[in-house]
Amino acid sequence: MTNERPLSIPVILGTTRKGRMSEHAARFMVAQIAKREGVVTELIDISRMALRVDDAGDGVKEPEFSAKMIRADALIIVTPEYNHSFPGLLKHVLDSCLKEYIHKAAGIVGVSAGPFGGTRVIQDFLPVIRELGLVNIFWDVNFGNVSKVFDESGNLLDEGFVARADKFLNELIWMARTLRYGRDNIALDA
Amino acid sequence: MAKHTTKMICPKCGAEMNHHADKLVDPVRPEDLRQVNPALGGIVEETHCCPSCGAVESRRAG
Repeated sequence: MTNERPLSIPVILGTTRKGRMSEHAARFMVAQIAKREGVVTELIDISRMALRVDDAGDGVKEPEFSAKMIRADALIIVTPEYNHSFPGLLKHVLDSCLKEYIHKAAGIVGVSAGPFGGTRVIQDFLPVIRELGLVNIFWDVNFGNVSKVFDESGNLLDEGFVARADKFLNELIWMARTLRYGRDNIALDA
Repeated sequence: MAKHTTKMICPKCGAEMNHHADKLVDPVRPEDLRQVNPALGGIVEETHCCPSCGAVESRRAG
């Protein structure tokens, strides 16, 4: 059986800080995905989630987020680099689900004020992605010196990111389609 | 823990679901300890996908 639903690839904006430049990166990625046929997307801003912090997993799971993760075929996670790692609240949000992610594709977009473009946070993120059952792609998008990539209104100042995002999305969509086929059709013990 | 022999049926559309993954998870609650597979060191959580509507369900290996 072939599933003809459009691919769902939401973008998770993984920081709640005021003045976050990652929002510009996330909105840019949403706009790039929206150009693709057969793919639907939306921005999931973790600052708009009322997730409790006095428990974890099923104890705090938000039904709306869970439903979006079930619908998703792939995730784009936009994360800034804070002290060489990812925001704790992003981890808390991701940890609220599990079955929703398994055998789905993930691509990470790193954002940093400095020159490294989130390379350290991405390396730090990979074991988490793996344990959540997501399948990471080998393309990243690295927004280094982010204040020079976007102006204050979020307009892109470096058109080179369009080509980088395109390569990233090509790989992510391929992986999303492949994994959907596997989830739908290939049994674990086949 | 024995493996389930019955297919999961999608609660949303009624189609037969595809068991595509077994995930090892840690016991969190005291009652979870009874479900730990000692050879694997955790609880096996089966993940199933509906090829018709895309729904996802899971269950612990029986």
